[in-house]
Amino acid sequence: MRLAFWLYEGTALHGISRVTNSMKGVHTVYHAPQGDDYITATYTMLERTPQFPGLSISVVRGRDLAQGVSRLPATLQQVDHHYSPELIVIAPSCSTALLQEDLHQLAAHSGLPQEKILVYALNPFRVSENEAADGLFTELVKRFAVAQEKTARPSVNLLGFTSLGFHLRANLTSLRRMLQTLGITVNVVAPWGAGIDDLRKLPAAWLNIAPYREIGTTAAEYLAETFDMPALYEAPIGVEPTLAWLRSVIGKLNAAGAERGVPPIVMPQLSAFSLDGLSAPSGVPWFARTADMESFSNKRAFVFGDATHTVALVKFLRDELGMKIIGAGTYLERHADWVRKELEGYLPGALIVTDKFQDVAKIIDDEMPDLVCGTQMERHSCRKLDVPCMVVCPPTHIENHLLGYYPFFGFDGADVIADRVYLSCKLGLEKHLIDFFGDAGLEYEEHEASLSSEESAPAPSGSNGQAAAEVAVTPADGEMKWSDEAETMLKKVPFFVRKKVRKNTENFALERGESMVSVEVFRQAKESLGG
Amino acid sequence: MHFIAGSNSQKKTFMMQVPGDIQVIKEDNVTHSFCGLACVGWMYQKIKDSFFLILGTHTCAHFLQNALGMMIFAKPRFGIALMEEGDLSKQEPSLQDIISEIKADHHPSVIFLLSSCTPEVMKVDFKGLAHLLSTEDVPVLFVPASGLVYNFTQAEDSVLSALVPFCPQAPAGQKSVVFLGSVNDVTADDLRAEAEALGIAVGGFLPESRFDKMPAIGPDTVLAPIQPYLSRVAVKLSRERGCSVLHSLFPFGPDGTRAFWEDLAREFGITVDLRDREKAAWEKIRNQTALLKGKKVFLTADTMMELPLARFLHSAGADVVECSSAYINKKFHARELVALDGVRVVEQPNFHRQLEDVRRIRPDLIITSLMTANPFVGNGFVVKWSMEFMLMSIHSWSGVITLANMFVSPLQRRSKLPAFDREVWLEGVMPSAE
Repeated sequence: MRLAFWLYEGTALHGISRVTNSMKGVHTVYHAPQGDDYITATYTMLERTPQFPGLSISVVRGRDLAQGVSRLPATLQQVDHHYSPELIVIAPSCSTALLQEDLHQLAAHSGLPQEKILVYALNPFRVSENEAADGLFTELVKRFAVAQEKTARPSVNLLGFTSLGFHLRANLTSLRRMLQTLGITVNVVAPWGAGIDDLRKLPAAWLNIAPYREIGTTAAEYLAETFDMPALYEAPIGVEPTLAWLRSVIGKLNAAGAERGVPPIVMPQLSAFSLDGLSAPSGVPWFARTADMESFSNKRAFVFGDATHTVALVKFLRDELGMKIIGAGTYLERHADWVRKELEGYLPGALIVTDKFQDVAKIIDDEMPDLVCGTQMERHSCRKLDVPCMVVCPPTHIENHLLGYYPFFGFDGADVIADRVYLSCKLGLEKHLIDFFGDAGLEYEEHEASLSSEESAPAPSGSNGQAAAEVAVTPADGEMKWSDEAETMLKKVPFFVRKKVRKNTENFALERGESMVSVEVFRQAKESLGG
Repeated sequence: MHFIAGSNSQKKTFMMQVPGDIQVIKEDNVTHSFCGLACVGWMYQKIKDSFFLILGTHTCAHFLQNALGMMIFAKPRFGIALMEEGDLSKQEPSLQDIISEIKADHHPSVIFLLSSCTPEVMKVDFKGLAHLLSTEDVPVLFVPASGLVYNFTQAEDSVLSALVPFCPQAPAGQKSVVFLGSVNDVTADDLRAEAEALGIAVGGFLPESRFDKMPAIGPDTVLAPIQPYLSRVAVKLSRERGCSVLHSLFPFGPDGTRAFWEDLAREFGITVDLRDREKAAWEKIRNQTALLKGKKVFLTADTMMELPLARFLHSAGADVVECSSAYINKKFHARELVALDGVRVVEQPNFHRQLEDVRRIRPDLIITSLMTANPFVGNGFVVKWSMEFMLMSIHSWSGVITLANMFVSPLQRRSKLPAFDREVWLEGVMPSAE
């Protein structure tokens, strides 16, 4: 038992419905108490679905339990009558799982044909969102995929694209654009938009593309074993990984094509991949070499999130933008080994693996990085610390369901990520000027920043330049005291590094056994820390 | 094991008799709404020195952080005592460490311990647990809130019931009104001023904003419910303290507000005639009611505010084609039901049936939950989120315009937007539906 405020992953039930909500003709019935279908709101509000998601609840009331009554068979009949699904997935919630009911038997009382029903009863105390989604998707692929003729032309399946995925639509568009440029057909995208018939024809493709470590890889592995289908598991995030991904797609398809006597796919001029067909496919390689990006080599970045994006972002920031990685980690213990292996040689220390956002917030607070790539929760933690943060992975927020084209995949995605890094970080020349001239009248930004932050901390009085020296400093219990003069000196440090300097100086003073930061201590700290 | 029959055929529903021969149709509760834990969203903000601790699972945590859009603020005053697999085999959950952590970090005056479905299935003795964890300084109060028993707003009823022992005993002869239901400070000030202007002594609000400021309640207190989902605490107080409970309309809209204040004044031996005031209030929303007149409005079950909202619409001349609510108390809601005479009222509705009726009746406006709003829009309807009515100041005279505008603005907005060709603009938005 522990006190929890926020958990990274959703429940097994959430994972199940992400898969079925993605699909045509599949309906989930929650055998659960009132309110356990709250997840519906995330689909209708975040994805703004114009139809009712294929998700119904068969409400279990306390009174029903006492009387030994079940409405599951009736609900199944109603769902069948009103939605005519091809398949109904029945899932218990955490509380009904404890009842140890025989859901198969209960479902049979509905009179619906057995093949129309899939009871997916995971242990919700052991299995979370991603594992449940990956597991159910694999289960569906196993159930429906059948051996068949390959398509005449080279084709691929795109697996693991799932409702509420991170920048899902834009990523799909980006992949489709690249595949189209190569003349490759998309056989099936699944589960997003796929029906049962689409699952049946999965083995017709020449290659499976499963770029998400969390969802879709297990199904691709099953298809590889059972139908001898090659698979590509890399995520094309960043320019070099995208080039490698394209070469890999071409290589695997040409190998399959050679057996069938189909002429090989040839890598076109790279400009063919650009949006206008006339330019470099990405601006990132040139951008990274420009003079103002020089300052990025000193920027310290911290990455924390799922598996797929954590690996991709660390590599992108270091390999393509030349930034310094000061640490990285994942909320997904289940994939930690894979992340660790992928990031061998990239991290100064061990990979951080925790499901507690507070641990991550503490690291950010201690390190004060120049850029954090994380989840919505890191964005939140960073806002309190005034540390630049960009959100790079699920769970998605309404801000990840924008109307414009913001992929993370492919050349287009590399540009989007680089733009976000650039806009998130403090800029180059501007930073030098501010460093040199101090606040230079920019104090108002600090004031504004504190107003917009969600903390109700009092606005710093420093916004009134003259009054700054007279401000009495009243630290909270356990915090280091600063003399008025030292505090005045600190005010001359640019506002956006001031918190970091304060913290470093206090640590320095603590190590020295000082009880207060005086001007002298501050100077010594500056000398010894190189600030 | 018995099975509840499906409602594909209407013969399975049955009727409930209420005074005045109003018939309430009861169905099988296949709805889309939240469980009682949702009340944390507004109750922790209302009672400012409180902490809300839910003994629950991953599901409860995910619900709170997601569906209510609640992220972690600097210091959230709610949290989940997270039951993991290992906790399932334990006889009684041990919360002592968590309570200590909460006290050290938050210094609350009171901790509400909310039940959820899993520990209720496990038959955790919540009363005993709360008693064990309580100290003189910081009481721990049990709040039944699980989705096995309670809907969306009903757990506020549980929170207020738990607060009853902390309302001082008002001496006999101390005649005053205590308003029942959490509202924001502006609305509370407004209700207080209105009562005082009528010569009614105000004893306070249950709940007040601080735990140590709960109102005194005694035999001469008149309890005036201002939210329609608080029947249990009203019964409990009248039984335990001998106070009287105002049975009137809820103070929403010109009609409800007039009835509410006239009836309340009568409890104090004061005769007031608010006919002119009501008339003036209707006059103020003349444009809105002109637009609502004859409009077909459908209310799906969500917040349990449906009855008074439908009654206002009915009075405003709208054609309420169905008013459904998760729970209807024939005594607590008696006046609203009478005022809804002629309107189809459904308790614990079946959403599938409602969907078919909506497609057939084609209402002009649907008041519905967060879960179902956009799909109704996608099906060509105009909607208003039911939850918004809980977050806006719509009480009494000062709330009349806001209330009326909430129904009117979606209709007006829709008429201002350009024509919409669904075939064109919905293409690819939801591939699973194509």
